[in-house]
Amino acid sequence: MTGKGTAGFTCPYCGKRFDTFEELKQDILTSHRGSPLPAPEGQIRLIVNGQEHVENVEPSWTLYHLIHDRLGMTGSKQFCDRGACGSCTVIMDGLPVLSCMVLAIECDGRTIETVEGIARDNHPLIESYVEHHAMQCGYCTPGFVVTSKALLDRNPDPTEEEIRDALSGNLCRCGTYPQHIIAVREAAGRLPGHKDSGGV
Amino acid sequence: MGIHSDDQKAKMKEMQDNLQADTHPLKRYRHIGERGGRRLDGYKKAGGDADYTMDVQLPGMLFMRFLDAPYPHAKIVRMDTRRAEQLPGVRFILRYDNPELPEKASMGKLPGLYGDQPPLPGIAHFEGEPVGAAVAADTESIAEEALSLIEVEWEQRPFNLDVIRAREEDAPLSYPEMYPAGNYWNNGLFNELVQGDVKKGFAASDRVIEFEFFRRGHTWIGPERPCGVFRWNGDCPELWVKQQRPHLVKKNLSTWYGGVPMNKIQLHCLYQGASFGGWVQVSWNMGPLYCAGFVARKTGRPVKYVFTRREDFYGESMDNGRYRYKVGFKKDGTILAVEGVSTIVNQQWPMFNVMNHFRENTKIPHLYGRSESVWVNKGPAVPTRCEQLPTTLSMTMVFSRVAAECGLDPVEVALKNDGYEGHDMVRLEEEKRQRGFPATDSLKECVDRGRAAFGWDDRWHPPGTRRLSNGRMHGVAFTWTNEWDDSLGTGEIAIRIERNDGTASILAMGCDNGVDAENTYCRIAADELGMRLQDVHYNPQTDPGFFRMSPDSSTNASVNGWAVRHAARILKQQILQAAVSPTAQTQRGEYRPAFEDCTPEDLDIEESVIFRKSDPSVRKSLADFVMEAGQSGPISSTENAGFRWAFTEPFFAFGYHVQLGSYNPENPRPHLTRQAHFLEVEVDSETGEIFITKAVNVNDVGKAMNPMSCEGQQYGGTIMGLSRGKFEEMIYDSVTGVMLNGNLLDYKIATIKDVEAPIGTILVESGMGYGPYGSVGIGEDIGTVMTGILGPAVHNAIGVWIDDHPITPDKVLKALGKA
Ligand code: FES
Ligand code: FES
Repeated sequence: MTGKGTAGFTCPYCGKRFDTFEELKQDILTSHRGSPLPAPEGQIRLIVNGQEHVENVEPSWTLYHLIHDRLGMTGSKQFCDRGACGSCTVIMDGLPVLSCMVLAIECDGRTIETVEGIARDNHPLIESYVEHHAMQCGYCTPGFVVTSKALLDRNPDPTEEEIRDALSGNLCRCGTYPQHIIAVREAAGRLPGHKDSGGV
Repeated sequence: MGIHSDDQKAKMKEMQDNLQADTHPLKRYRHIGERGGRRLDGYKKAGGDADYTMDVQLPGMLFMRFLDAPYPHAKIVRMDTRRAEQLPGVRFILRYDNPELPEKASMGKLPGLYGDQPPLPGIAHFEGEPVGAAVAADTESIAEEALSLIEVEWEQRPFNLDVIRAREEDAPLSYPEMYPAGNYWNNGLFNELVQGDVKKGFAASDRVIEFEFFRRGHTWIGPERPCGVFRWNGDCPELWVKQQRPHLVKKNLSTWYGGVPMNKIQLHCLYQGASFGGWVQVSWNMGPLYCAGFVARKTGRPVKYVFTRREDFYGESMDNGRYRYKVGFKKDGTILAVEGVSTIVNQQWPMFNVMNHFRENTKIPHLYGRSESVWVNKGPAVPTRCEQLPTTLSMTMVFSRVAAECGLDPVEVALKNDGYEGHDMVRLEEEKRQRGFPATDSLKECVDRGRAAFGWDDRWHPPGTRRLSNGRMHGVAFTWTNEWDDSLGTGEIAIRIERNDGTASILAMGCDNGVDAENTYCRIAADELGMRLQDVHYNPQTDPGFFRMSPDSSTNASVNGWAVRHAARILKQQILQAAVSPTAQTQRGEYRPAFEDCTPEDLDIEESVIFRKSDPSVRKSLADFVMEAGQSGPISSTENAGFRWAFTEPFFAFGYHVQLGSYNPENPRPHLTRQAHFLEVEVDSETGEIFITKAVNVNDVGKAMNPMSCEGQQYGGTIMGLSRGKFEEMIYDSVTGVMLNGNLLDYKIATIKDVEAPIGTILVESGMGYGPYGSVGIGEDIGTVMTGILGPAVHNAIGVWIDDHPITPDKVLKALGKA
């Protein structure tokens, strides 16, 4: 962000370029006086499960690394390591993303939801997964839960086909697939406002 | 302990290596066999709270990565690690030639197969093998970068990839250090099975056919990759391992680093992201753990290693190779003789003979089986959801061939040949009676129920004769075998009643692989102790012993289930004995019994309450009976207050079980229960694509202690088996020996879109298992048996045999003459 580029010096507040350091300094004093200090290089702010985190990240870190290794939210799992399995899925600004394929540095200002947040909020998916034994070794399970939550957020009454489509990127070696359809359908029925849930 | 718990101990000893029906089943089941109920580990797993070894992070932990061989067979001649050592953040580089590394260390227990091996070899025997150097650094990416800075001069050696080429006289040696005389294990013969005289059988047959097929190598893909964390607390090692058999890790480790007493080793086995078999016991996986411990000691910091997904891809199933058969039979489908020869790569495990299941399940009088193991430059082959893949694959292929040749329904051919060790069903029924089992015809019952559920009679047809209105060819297949009743192993389990609330803790070495074993243990303990299910909890022990051959996976029901039951029965007798005895006896005097003027036989426990059978109103909850945990003890404190309140003895009991099962040349216990599987497919004859449209599994599990868990193994095993039959194969470049698809994008496994068809799960409960309450295990067998069923289903659809598994669209087109 700061430093001498090919065109001279770049303002850390607005990105404007100057030939000399003096010009940059003058501009900062006139245009940005009173502004809070610019974020240091590599610093991001993001909301994870409703809480703000300010983290200094290295350019090579993935969002998975940040969440799992740095923030200690170990519910996100790494099955494949290259965008093939869905076990590291988190919800970013409402959409499911593979956290092993997203660079942490790109997540400045993002809102993230992980399986821990979904469980803490008592989302009906959790109970329905437990009742229907939609897991065996459980390693892939959080990824399925998060992907299903993202599905129910945008489609609270999905058909079997829609559930299959949504979960088609999640691998399970234990072969628990049939139970996910049942569990997600049932969780949908328990969402507040669903015709079967008894709620409004 | 009174006479009654001693009685139970004596009964426990009587049941060791059980060869007969359960002589003391429960009169009434409450939780055992109960359908439904929440999964006990469900909340943790679904909510992301279940911790796996991959999740472990310790303060100051270093990350270790390994150099992977770029060639399939090569020796390191020179290695320069200086540039890597200078990279900031690199803390230690362990080289294969470090003088402190032993030449060999204990990595298993069967010498020659996977016994002592170098912990960090300097010679690679397959491309991708971790060899030469292990880098420990502050972060994984620094370790990875350091690896790229290591300069290695390799001496490339000739190599073999092909199982048939490797067995030829002039083939280069694949593994000269272990097998200098040739690429065979034991001159080619791994094991041999002879029953009767096949020549006689062929001579008496109406028809004799010969055929061969290939099964290509596939891998397990445990979702959690192989990993471990090692820390030294002074001279005591503490480690976290992803290992299916943690006791072997402890045993091996006790011989490493100059020797470590077993009681100083603290080993944690957290939830396991599934492993499906025995890969954990080979040097390929044990070696890295050795290196982690070595470097942890040198650096004084905890060290974690995690295999990359690609590194994990090199492990093979135990069925990769060629199978040849000669089969003699009558026109009515009665098989008289089968000769089978399997030539399979890199067996690192005692392999079942290719004819084993024919001997165990059929009345075929004449059998000859020869299993050969050949070394090629690929990864080690170990049980991958079961070492019985080759023999069940053989059952499927031989029976389907015979049925097709005779124009008979394969179900009828199976029923016609059912039996054991060359004897017919009359003799098998006699065996059942003598051993105290009901004389149920297990295969008949499985077949009847499966046939009805599948609609077999309407769907089966002669090969290649049914085209559907959507233009696709329709096919069905059937296969069968015994349930795995050959459990081998030992199990040690203890149960303790907690103070204050009287709940029960089951203590055993834990290693959860996902088969819901804890639920089964809790059900057994609850019913045996007369407790509510919610009052029983499984507390897996990380270290103190309670060894089990296969904790929470293979042999759960049949070995560990017995151990839980023995412990619960001993404990219950302890409790009832104590209930009628003085509550405590001290130097101050004797304290009145909780239940006066009665014997243990007058009492029982239900719903966690002890009561007098003749007058249930005389009752005391277990919590009230065991009382509180005292400081100086409730005795003294309550005495000061003017009344006596005694302190019961602690309640703790252990049980154990030992079992050889049918792993014995004399096979003292015939297999009594059967499984039957039905599959329907549609084949697009233009594209070669195969669509699975229906599957039905019927398993005679004897007694389903935990039905939802059994069903999980049925549909889960079906999906894994069909995935292997339809997609799975590791592909190597024949020129370079490099694996081409060592990742989950290029190596396909079934997704949720591949299993749109309904998978029927039917449990038969004949009570004919040697496990507790007549149970039999179910976890390994369906995934194993279903691996081969696609071949006959596609044959039934297109009328042409494809003798090369997996059955992929290109092979279908080739079989149809379209490619
Ligand atoms: S670990 Fe991210 S998709 Fe597999
Ligand atoms: S439950 Fe084991 S991988 Fe899905």
